[in-house]
Amino acid sequence: MHYDFHWQVLWSGQSGRWLLQGLGTTLAISSLAWLLAVGLGILSGALRTVPWKALRAVAAFYVEFFRNVPLLVWMFFWYFGVPPLLPEAAREWLFDHGAEFWAGMFALGVYHGARMSEVIRSGIQSIPKTQFEAAVAMGLTTFQAYRLVILPIALRLIVPPATSESLNLLKNSSVALTISVAELTFQTRQIETYTARAIEALTAGTVIYLVLCVGIATIMARVERRFAIPGLIARGG
Amino acid sequence: MRRMLAVLSILGLALPIAAPALAQQGTLEKIGQSGVLTIGTRTASPPFAFVNKQNEWVGFSIDLVEQAVKPAIERKLGKPITIEKKESTPPTRIPLLSSNAVDLIAGTMTDTRARRESVDFSLTFFVTGAQFLVKKNSPIRGIESIAGRRVAAQQGSTNAKLIRERMPTARLQEFPDQPAAFQALAQGQVDAYTNDGIQLYGLRAKAPRPDDWKVVGDFFSYEPYGMAMRKNDSDFRHAVNVGLMEAIESGKYFELYDKWFGPNGETPYPLTPENKRFLIMQVVPK
Repeated sequence: MHYDFHWQVLWSGQSGRWLLQGLGTTLAISSLAWLLAVGLGILSGALRTVPWKALRAVAAFYVEFFRNVPLLVWMFFWYFGVPPLLPEAAREWLFDHGAEFWAGMFALGVYHGARMSEVIRSGIQSIPKTQFEAAVAMGLTTFQAYRLVILPIALRLIVPPATSESLNLLKNSSVALTISVAELTFQTRQIETYTARAIEALTAGTVIYLVLCVGIATIMARVERRFAIPGLIARGG
Repeated sequence: MRRMLAVLSILGLALPIAAPALAQQGTLEKIGQSGVLTIGTRTASPPFAFVNKQNEWVGFSIDLVEQAVKPAIERKLGKPITIEKKESTPPTRIPLLSSNAVDLIAGTMTDTRARRESVDFSLTFFVTGAQFLVKKNSPIRGIESIAGRRVAAQQGSTNAKLIRERMPTARLQEFPDQPAAFQALAQGQVDAYTNDGIQLYGLRAKAPRPDDWKVVGDFFSYEPYGMAMRKNDSDFRHAVNVGLMEAIESGKYFELYDKWFGPNGETPYPLTPENKRFLIMQVVPK
């Protein structure tokens, strides 16, 4: 007994189109979720360090609540739990317009937003307190100090861990197949169903994820170098 | 970047070399050595294989393995064996077999020509066809009335494939398992759920209020269930088939059928005379 490889199943028939469709959906859901995660992450990461206790508590609650429940549970929550809370008309509209995609996007974005928030908080907290005090002493308000001084430095510091987090987000988008989002992993399984060629299909999926992630990591490394502030941040090898 | 490409291509080359080394010894030999027959089965496909209220993993397919296939293999090997059950779903079952993680798939797997390219099947142990489960007052009557509708299916199933071919305007949503698909139907995310008729009856019987649901439509597919095993292992396949044939011949099969599908069974589903005849005709002479 041995296994014969039939790589042509990946481009014959509908397989190639399915892989491209899956790739498209994966990129769409991941990039929207990434924008949401980065927005929520910056907001809540900054709020966790501001000098007002109530705002810090709200941000801490968000982070601990959303990052400590498994992503799969959040997928089910946004897909099965949220629609019944909406008014009838909105619910019907949503069900007709890809509810699973939006539920998956929110689940990914909100979950990774909480994790991104911790990355950004650690960036902010690695900046000496005197930096903030100096900004305020120059007459900036707290909001201006964050916008013009603290965040621009923090965001540069956190590029490497934020890259890891973004890659995790991309790969975690495969969990959305549990609520019927036809993303890349879903499509590799689809090819397996039609051709009964599991190893070829899974290999194709693996290679696509690998190439995507290596590509993103390369771009982020460029971004890191391009925006580094000379003399402020040590350059790695 | 060039170095990265080199690493990628090495990975790509390593995969095909690593895989074929896996399967070499025959399945009977493997079971003889370990004393264990590992089956891949389902956890939520009543009454074929499911976890019941007492938290026991049971069902018609599991009974067939334990009471028909196991004795035949024991006789062949001349020693007692035990059965180990593992969860397998439509997308995972063929890889589980090819990687030697399980020896036999005994759940609700339809025997198809495409699947026979990768695995071998036992004789057919159950016959059904695809239908739809809908809410009591739904206007859906069958495959002809699902155009433009949201329809749930199980991922990797033959039903999903057929809907895509015959009614491409239906909006198919595929879920990895039955509970998620049923939940989507119950909440209105989808208008109908398609699966093999017998499974829909099973699902309906287990629903909190069975009368709220109905199974509709003519069979739009032919779904002969078989037990799958690794390809080109005719000794093992023969042992499995002998077990099934003896069970049909001795009446054991029909006893088990009655236990699960009889009037007091998990899912009442009378055996039609044609299906009974079909089962008996698969039994070749001694």
